This record gives sequence, structure tokens and C-alpha cells, in this order.
Amino acid sequence: MNKYEFLYKLNQSLENCSNTERQEIVHYYDELIQDAIDSGEFEQEFIEKLGSIDKITRTIKKDQDFVTNVKEKKDYQLQKVFSVTVKIIGYFIFFILAIVIGSIGISFLASGGGMMVFASIRIYDAIIKSLSVATIVMYAGSATIGVGLVLIGFWVFKWLFVQSKNQLEKLMEFIQSKIKKVGE
Amino acid sequence: MDVQLKKGFLELLVLASLKNQASYGYRIIQDVSEVLEISESTLYPILKRLEIQNYLVTYTEEYNSRLRRYYQITSQGLQKLKDCRHEFDIIKIIYDYILK
Repeated sequence: MNKYEFLYKLNQSLENCSNTERQEIVHYYDELIQDAIDSGEFEQEFIEKLGSIDKITRTIKKDQDFVTNVKEKKDYQLQKVFSVTVKIIGYFIFFILAIVIGSIGISFLASGGGMMVFASIRIYDAIIKSLSVATIVMYAGSATIGVGLVLIGFWVFKWLFVQSKNQLEKLMEFIQSKIKKVGE
Repeated sequence: MDVQLKKGFLELLVLASLKNQASYGYRIIQDVSEVLEISESTLYPILKRLEIQNYLVTYTEEYNSRLRRYYQITSQGLQKLKDCRHEFDIIKIIYDYILK
């Protein structure tokens, strides 16, 4: 069998492999045979030494499981790195969100509180100066709005506190598991 | 020699043959054969295994107006060879025990 016959038959026997793999294997043997000839070996003798094409194909197939396993492991590792990145980004976004929501809460509390105090003073003032009932009712209304705003502010803070606690607990668990892994 | 044991050693021998310079299929077989017999059909899967584990990378270069594939050891491959020093101590203990 000469080189071309051998490579043709090899190519035929690799029909179950992907195109790239087939090309790679055929090129590997093509190169080997050419290098052997260049080094002074006889083409036919060298090809006989390579063994039967069946055996060559079997050896390659036997190793394919290993290659797939390693590839899957790599994908798994990549996934792990990805999930860690997503988590870190997630915590970062939560941190920014917490600041924004916190400031909204503070503004509600401050404006509500201010309104309450201001309206109460005005009501007291109006009663002393015995102004009209309509004026007093108007100030009482703004005091009520102030109370509402303060309540909204409190609610925002309560929500933020519960969420932060949950997130922090998760973050601590995450950090602990990482430290454990590094320790191993 | 036991087939599994030989397979493990051949992987390391192929890596060791690339330690100082990149090499190609035919020459790797010649180099490794000086120590342990290796056939052409066994070398291909070994190279593939080493490549997939990032112990070596490949590139093609023109030689005699044809393309030749070269195999080059990576830093991970070099580290693997370094680890052998430690493994050697363990293997020695194992064999001392077996042959006792």
C-alpha cells in the first residue's frame, strides 16, 4: 500500500469523526510518512509498520471519551467562573440600588418630618391668633401628608433593612464557601 | 510493561521530549523510542490528550514546501514535569513496598 492508498482508506474509516478531526488525523499520518521518507525510510515498509487502519481507528476512538470528559470539565469550570462573576456584579448592583433607595427613604423622612413640624407650628399659631377654621384644616391636612411621607420613608427603610440582611447573609455564606475551598 | 503504566509514562516522556524545543511527530517518536517503545498510532492520542489538558500547543510551519505541525510545551506542561520530582519519591516508596 502506498501513501495515497493508505491515507484514502484511513479517511474512509474515520467517517464517524468530525471533519476537522478527520483532516487532522489524516494530516498527522501524511506528515509522519513524508518525514519517514525524508529520513531515508521506505514508504511501503513504514506504512506496514504503522499497523492496520482498523487498529489506528480503534485507538483514536478509545481516547475520544477522555477528550470529551476533559472538555466537559472545562465547560463546568467556565460556568463556575461565570456564576461567580455574575454574583459579584449582582452584589455591586444591589449596593448601588441600596444607596439610591436609601436616599429616597431619607428624603421622604426629612420632607415628611419637616412638613409635620412646620404644619404643627402653624396650627398652634393659627389657634392662638384664632384664624379661620379653613386655615386650621388646611394646616392639619399638610400635617397629615407629612405623617404619610414619614410612614413611606419608614417603610422604605424597613424594606431596605430586610433585603440588606438577606443579601449580606448570602454574601457571607458565599465568601465562607470560597474561603473553605481555597483552604482545601 | 503494564499497558496503563506505560501510557502514563509515555505522556510524560512526550512532554519531556519537548522540554527544550518544539518538535514534530516523527522526531518525537524517535526521541521517545530511545527510552520506551512508542508506536505512531499511540502518539496521536497522547498528543491530543496533552493538548486538551493545556500541556502543549501546536502550530504549523513550512518545511520542504509542505506544512509540518509542531508541538510546543506550555508553562503548565513544564510545571507538570517539575511535579514529577515529587511523584518520583512516591513511586519509589510504592516500588520499594512492592518489591520488598
